[in-house]
Amino acid sequence: MLNDQGWLLSLALFFPLIGAAAIVAMPSGAEQAIKRAGVLFSGITLALTVAVMVGFDYAAAGELQFETTVTWIEAIGARYHLGIDGISLPLFALTSLLTFLCAIYTTKIIPKPGKPKAFLALMMLLQVGMAGTFLAFDLVLFFVFWEVVLVPMYFMIGMWGGPRREYASVKFFLYTLFGSVFMLVAFLSIYFVATDAGIANPWDIVELSEAAGIGSYTFQTLAFLGIFLGFAIKVPVWPFHTWLPDAHTEAPTVGSVLLAGVLLKMGTYGFIRIALPILPEGALRFAPLIGVLGVIGIIYGSLACLAQTDVKRLIAFSSVGHMGFVMLGISAMNTTGIQAALYGNIAHAVVTGMLFFLAGSLHERYHTREISEIGGGMLVKMPRYGALLVFVSMASLGLPGLAGFWGEFTALWAARSPAPALAANYSGLYLGLVIFGAIGTVLTAGYFLWLIQRVGLGTPSERWADEPLSDVMTVEWVSWLPLLALILIMGIFPVIIFGVQDPAVTNLVSFFGG
Amino acid sequence: MEAGLQALDYAWLVVLLPFVAAVVIAAFGRLMPLKGSEVGIAAMAIAWVTSLVIGFQTFANGPVDALEQTFWTAPVGGLTIEFGQYVDGLTAMMLVLVTTVSLLVQLYSREYMHGEDRFTYFFAMLSLFTFSMLVLVIAPNTLQAIVGWELVGVCSYLLIGYYWREKSNVDAANKAFLVTKFADIGLLVGVIVLSVGVSAHTDNVFSISETIELAMAGELSSLTVIMGCLFIFLGAVGKSGQMPLHVWLPDAMAGPTPVSALIHAATMVTAGVFFVARLYPVFIQELVVMNVIAIVGVITLFFAGFLAIVQDDIKKVLAYSTVSQLGYMMAALGVGGYTAGIFHLFTHGFFKALLFLGSGSLIHAIHSNNMSDMGGMRRYMPWTFVTFLIGSLALAGFPLTAGFFSKDEILVSAQIWADNGLAMGTWVFWLGLAGALVTTFYMARSIFLIFFGEHRGVPARPSARTVADIEAEEASGVLDPQAEGEDLAQAAHDPDTSPTTGLGGHHAPHESGWQILTALVVLAVLSFPVGLAGGFLWDEVGGSTERNFETWTATHAIEEATYPFLPGADEHSEEGGEGEHAEEEGADEGEAAGLPGGPDDVALAAGPATTVLAAESAEGEISNHVLHGAPEFHLDVFVLALIAFLAAVAGAWAIYGRGHRERDPVLHMGGLTTVLVNKYYLDDIGYRGVVVPIRDHLAPATSWSSNVVLDGIVKGVGGGVKRLANVTYHTVDQKIIDGGVNGAAFSAAWWSNKLKHLQSGDVQRYAGAMLAGVIVLVVVFAAAR
Repeated sequence: MLNDQGWLLSLALFFPLIGAAAIVAMPSGAEQAIKRAGVLFSGITLALTVAVMVGFDYAAAGELQFETTVTWIEAIGARYHLGIDGISLPLFALTSLLTFLCAIYTTKIIPKPGKPKAFLALMMLLQVGMAGTFLAFDLVLFFVFWEVVLVPMYFMIGMWGGPRREYASVKFFLYTLFGSVFMLVAFLSIYFVATDAGIANPWDIVELSEAAGIGSYTFQTLAFLGIFLGFAIKVPVWPFHTWLPDAHTEAPTVGSVLLAGVLLKMGTYGFIRIALPILPEGALRFAPLIGVLGVIGIIYGSLACLAQTDVKRLIAFSSVGHMGFVMLGISAMNTTGIQAALYGNIAHAVVTGMLFFLAGSLHERYHTREISEIGGGMLVKMPRYGALLVFVSMASLGLPGLAGFWGEFTALWAARSPAPALAANYSGLYLGLVIFGAIGTVLTAGYFLWLIQRVGLGTPSERWADEPLSDVMTVEWVSWLPLLALILIMGIFPVIIFGVQDPAVTNLVSFFGG
Repeated sequence: MEAGLQALDYAWLVVLLPFVAAVVIAAFGRLMPLKGSEVGIAAMAIAWVTSLVIGFQTFANGPVDALEQTFWTAPVGGLTIEFGQYVDGLTAMMLVLVTTVSLLVQLYSREYMHGEDRFTYFFAMLSLFTFSMLVLVIAPNTLQAIVGWELVGVCSYLLIGYYWREKSNVDAANKAFLVTKFADIGLLVGVIVLSVGVSAHTDNVFSISETIELAMAGELSSLTVIMGCLFIFLGAVGKSGQMPLHVWLPDAMAGPTPVSALIHAATMVTAGVFFVARLYPVFIQELVVMNVIAIVGVITLFFAGFLAIVQDDIKKVLAYSTVSQLGYMMAALGVGGYTAGIFHLFTHGFFKALLFLGSGSLIHAIHSNNMSDMGGMRRYMPWTFVTFLIGSLALAGFPLTAGFFSKDEILVSAQIWADNGLAMGTWVFWLGLAGALVTTFYMARSIFLIFFGEHRGVPARPSARTVADIEAEEASGVLDPQAEGEDLAQAAHDPDTSPTTGLGGHHAPHESGWQILTALVVLAVLSFPVGLAGGFLWDEVGGSTERNFETWTATHAIEEATYPFLPGADEHSEEGGEGEHAEEEGADEGEAAGLPGGPDDVALAAGPATTVLAAESAEGEISNHVLHGAPEFHLDVFVLALIAFLAAVAGAWAIYGRGHRERDPVLHMGGLTTVLVNKYYLDDIGYRGVVVPIRDHLAPATSWSSNVVLDGIVKGVGGGVKRLANVTYHTVDQKIIDGGVNGAAFSAAWWSNKLKHLQSGDVQRYAGAMLAGVIVLVVVFAAAR
């Protein structure tokens, strides 16, 4: 059986490090070669990921596959416990795909000050951190990968970002680190309590989940609060979102794509993989709050979008709204809700990743992202580009038949029928969440249509009327087509994600008895 | 599968074909000799023939057992997403309507849109629009219905905004999308509420048939039914243009006229009425739901008609007319007139398509939407005149036209509802009758203004005005710039197929070409027999007895459904007490004051029990059954309707009979005119009361609160930590904490120095302080443990 081969997963995970090392070893002057190497190495990583996907036993997607368990730091009992199940698989695949597409994009478009060597090496380091977060089943290992992500993203924003890159990068770094601190404390306390509870490997996520609720109610509440802060900042959950617009606005295109596409998902993944199963009682206590914050995020993010004048900042705020739906799904604490959250994760990654690509390319052409300066008529100047903007916007506003819809709809459905313990006490609250969440979809439609109107439709303003603006370039088509195809495929056949996740989610939810 | 129903298996083909056509046209249309239109028309023709066969088979065998098939499913945790088809008489009726109108609209568009730059795109969108509607029509579950429903919305957006270079058209498209999307909150929430209610009983939570079954069995709680149905109805209010969410519909005239025909006749606006009809056995469980539907419907049918009277733009007249007619359909459903409501949907689809396409033919010829620019057109465009007249007669409910039968049936339904002691019946009856008068009046006005008198020519082409002018007007508070923008759009974009008309006004207008006329003539011809389908002339089809619209579209569920709130509800399972109920009903009927004729009337004397269930009225016990009987000829209703018709025509003739009057009296009714011209101020209320506060106040305030308040807290905390860090660094860090902390800080410092572009000297201090904090916390925790 191929899926007994834990080494394959480790290879797929760490191969980008080899790539990064090789790129660092190349002479700085050979920029073309470096860029090609970036594509090559991320391509090989993607191929290895595909090998994992091929070897994956989808019938047993509820169980950990390609598992490796090796003692790692004996002194504290931390283990190198790696594995993949139906929840991790789509996220892992997404990470490899997005990184590969970013590498392709970077061959032609690299922000100032250039330096593809450092840029690509950092990107590959980032990839290891992101992918590792989704594959680690040991809390210490998870935390290491989680923190590893910070550094390359910090430099990506700080070096290749926009005018306020220093402020944005420090803010991103510190805000996330701030959350991590509480998370770490919670992890440590879990370790101590689990040790007391007699769990053999008290860092192990699987064993902790199976223990189904260790410690006292107070402990669960406090530990959940700590973990909540760590993950909520990453997602970001309102009101912890203020780092996001700055980070996204200043980050280079590729950074934004990976930030929206993968980094935010680490937060929601953490909730689902760690917080809910290990601390089910704490989660139940916090679930209504998570739901309320999620729906506030939906409404708040959408309203803020209406007021934005910068395209990229607008898309950044739209992430707050979309991740609100993911949190709403989580707050339902049942299989449908977790499915919705995970699906919403992937859909948001694909759709918003694509939107950030579009925003980046828009900046390349107009050298501004101010909506009023662009002033409409993009469909006249660049019909294909304009059509793509409409298409992806439609996906983002949740049009059925495209990726965005299923996560939102199922999240709302789940919130109407939350876990029994929640339904008993908060039925009315959750109905309100459903209604306000649905109102959010209207506001979302509102800001996207308004964006399309102000940027895409109408006639070009005088400033751009005679300016030659190139329509979608080959490199853009190559790096975008997979995402565009996924938007369509996920919309028409949502089963390709839901189906893979289903056994794993059922298994996971059994731990907290949703 | 019942014998003779084999075609039902292929209903999916009707749906798939337009989709394939849309894809093929989009991909290869430009390379084709007819620019892709041939693909759209061919696909639609096959779909149409298939629909006709399905329609015939269901008609001949109706009411048929629904064919329910699932093509594929996706497990989603506790629920299942399924796609499939659900074919019964109601589906078949919609398939016939949608494909017929769509086919004719496409044929028509070949001529109407000739020479447009985005001709191919237009045809792809027409096919996609039709496809979306059909996805809804054959939906076996509410989720698939939502998919179709939303796709219809986005297609309408893309088609209404077809001339997207003009801001006003984009505004109209946005308005249509957002108003209906607002209503879709209701659809989403309603479907969720219902399906969660269903989920307690079955896994197939979205299944329409199972939802109906459970509702009829009383398994769903009253709250679930009321909430679910009222929310879904909100969705229908938006999509089917009921007041006050009809505001998008007149503005949607910004789209090319064939699109208007498609939206108003076959797709989009029919969606809401259809969906309520589809779930009808659920809706009838609660009187409050029925009353809400009836109230909204009757308000819409009555008030929208008046708006049509003061319009000069012929498309606007027709648009408000559509709103009003949709009100009739909804009102009928609200007073138990299932057959009446969908029958009117069916007949209206044909004659409203006819009227829109007729108005397009006029607009095409004279390049103006305004009736004040027309006059005497019957001499120039005799075919258009005759077909438009037929459509108008049908709309006005002239005897023996399609609209006559369906509107009559609505009034009869209302009457029977009133006979059962339900007040809404009385309201719907009288206001429906008054609405008929209004309908006849504005159509007669239009006919006289357009086709009679002398041709008034076309004013100077409005293209002298620039887009900037129009935008300036809009900015100055003219809320609804469509009226102006449309002229411009029309003038700028209408195909100048003929050099004689292209110059505008210098030459006499002339009749349209064969493709436009074919569509008009076919629809005009259809405006008669589709009405008869509901009538008495279709007995003995296929050797069996009595086939009509009722037997066609009634489902078994509808036949069995009862009104729980009417007497007899408890005994619908053929237990005793029939005689009693019949007597009660009789008494009720006698008391139903104000109804024409009263109990002495011949038509009504047959007894309420039999009137309520015309087709199976042998037993009195089924008096609380849903009305789905064949229309009965009620002389009193007929006479009243005819009087209304003649009075309205006479009134219109007196005012407009000799052509255009310089001083149109409807525009000089003082305050009333002001109210009507301002559309009851509903657009203003929506704009000033909803759009502006959200867009111009709430959104900036939100953004401000994020950037200033929330981020201010973050910055404040950051500043505080920085000060704390300084203290820590100077007093604690250097003296107390061991090398691990310093190591971390140094490593951060090393990176910082290495990359000179960064001057984030603060990072290592923060990081160091935080790590110190962690360790302190851990120590505290370990001690406390």
